Amino acid sequence: MFEAKLIQASLLKKILEPIKDLVESANFDCSPSGISLQAMDSAHVTLINLLLRTDGFETYNCERSLSLGLSINALSKALKCAGNDDTLTMKARDEPDTLSLYFESPKNDRVCDFEIKLLDLGNDQYTIRDTEYAAVIKMPSSELQRICRDLSTLGEVVTICANKEGVKFSTSGDVGSFNITVRPTTDSSAKSEDSITIESKEPITLNFSLKFLTHFTKATPLSPTVKIKMTDSAPVVVEYNIEDLGYLSFFLAPKLE
Amino acid sequence: MGIKNLTSLIEENAPSAIKSNDLKSYSGRIVAIDASTSMYQFLIAINTEMGAALMNANGETTSHLQGMFYRTIKLMTRGIKPIYVFDGKAPVLKSGELAKRYARRKEAEQQLEEANEVGNSEDVQKFQKRTISASRKQNEECKKLLELMGVPIVQAPCEAEAQCAELCKGGKAWATGSEDMDSLTLGTTILLRRLTFSEARKLPIMEIELEKVLDGLDLTHDQFVDLCILLGCDYCDTIKGIGPKKSFDMITKHKNIQTVIQNIDRTKNPIPESFPYEEVRELFKNPDVIKCQDLPEIVWKEPDVDGLIKYLVGEMGFNETRVQQGIEKLKKYKDTGVQTRIDTFFPMIKRPRDEDAGSAKKKQKTVAKPGAAGSKKKPAAKKAAGKK
Repeated sequence: MFEAKLIQASLLKKILEPIKDLVESANFDCSPSGISLQAMDSAHVTLINLLLRTDGFETYNCERSLSLGLSINALSKALKCAGNDDTLTMKARDEPDTLSLYFESPKNDRVCDFEIKLLDLGNDQYTIRDTEYAAVIKMPSSELQRICRDLSTLGEVVTICANKEGVKFSTSGDVGSFNITVRPTTDSSAKSEDSITIESKEPITLNFSLKFLTHFTKATPLSPTVKIKMTDSAPVVVEYNIEDLGYLSFFLAPKLE
Repeated sequence: MGIKNLTSLIEENAPSAIKSNDLKSYSGRIVAIDASTSMYQFLIAINTEMGAALMNANGETTSHLQGMFYRTIKLMTRGIKPIYVFDGKAPVLKSGELAKRYARRKEAEQQLEEANEVGNSEDVQKFQKRTISASRKQNEECKKLLELMGVPIVQAPCEAEAQCAELCKGGKAWATGSEDMDSLTLGTTILLRRLTFSEARKLPIMEIELEKVLDGLDLTHDQFVDLCILLGCDYCDTIKGIGPKKSFDMITKHKNIQTVIQNIDRTKNPIPESFPYEEVRELFKNPDVIKCQDLPEIVWKEPDVDGLIKYLVGEMGFNETRVQQGIEKLKKYKDTGVQTRIDTFFPMIKRPRDEDAGSAKKKQKTVAKPGAAGSKKKPAAKKAAGKK
């Protein structure tokens, strides 16, 4: 028996928003310590890694680990019916065929319930090793969203070049080239949410598909800040912290020259 | 052409070995493509779908070049890196099969003539299809085209499928692109079918993984080779009255051909006069190939723009603007660099399935085993979480 209650159904909506265009279906792995999801897009360019910890739920009950294979599309269709302030309860039996979702309005005067069929998805998992990063950049998530949007008007590939002084995002297209540089915030009175920090061990330059990066920024409503972690010839990590609950991170494989 | 009924046998007994995927799922993969089967496909497809083969000013067929050029570009713009492998001389054992094919073709030619006289267009098309074969000249033309395009080619000493399998085993390629199921018998780790089909047919790519096939059938590779010989391959005849089901049951029971032969009723299932299964087995297990370490380095070069235009437009009568567009795509793909795959950075853990592993078809839903499976990936996730 698995049962978990989230105070805000809209939170799951926000989590699915960046995921739903990248993957069609994924396994939600529920265990006594929380819910996690790992999924790859069909071109195997990006890996999505989601963790929702038990303590972020209003109630959480899971004695046996189970894997819920869900169509992301079906799940987000169901969530469309949830009001902004509705609570969400998820329930599944042991050896389940379906997942039940209950949306309740704050005044308890309206209840919707959904039963979503589960899919049999392969059970492949990937080991994500903890590595030392050459650069870790923290910036307002809206800033990254804007950079991606602006660069996409011109090119398809972004070159991210980071050192202690700043981070340069550049692209080029048929009409010319375009660079955006952001520098660490020096104003000590700035709120941590609005400031940019760069921890740089060594200068680093990597190329990525702008299309995917732009997709990731759909997670902007989840968190005021975003972390970008880079290592030489390795995937970049774009990480959104979900307050009190966990995180949603994206790994994107680099493009080689 | 391949192994008789092997696909359906796998579909039935090892369904998890077969996957179908979009072309784009293979971006970043190096695929060794059997040039002969794809050429044959192009010749057939562009022949019958258009009513007549494409020709240049001299009346020579150019369908194979058309197909090879545009399909290769399509693959490359999707990020797939093709290596084309060409057939060398046919093995001696195949001569029987080849003679049969030749006879069939001759017969079809005759029927085509008759059909032409009668004027039944459906028949004409049917028999026309059967008369098609790829000539040595067309082989050479394709090689020239690919060289101009900067696509690597490998000349196999003998059968192309065997060389493809060697490229896979040696790690030079990730998969073999062929329609022939022999590729699996020859030890190709992953076989991709329908890779060079026309996109208009909207067929997904069929991916067959050898390891899972063997797992599902519960056979070793040696037993699998014997099974394929019983099913019927290009190199020898089959035993009368032994179909796919019986072959599979017998190999499962007796483990090899020798014992199978000892245990069948010779009067009901006569062994063909020529049944050199030991030699055939050898041909599958140790085919005549160039070993990976002896091959020159495989590289994708810049396309030779002037050369391509001169050859395709000048000699083969292709439309210049379309060729130009194709070349632009080739060059653009070269410039944007190669998108790497995320799964090369993260090792995959195959989580154990439920008790009845292997017979996945019985069970619709998969539930992770408590503890064993669930806890396996948690440490990694936790570590990542704790780090922040």
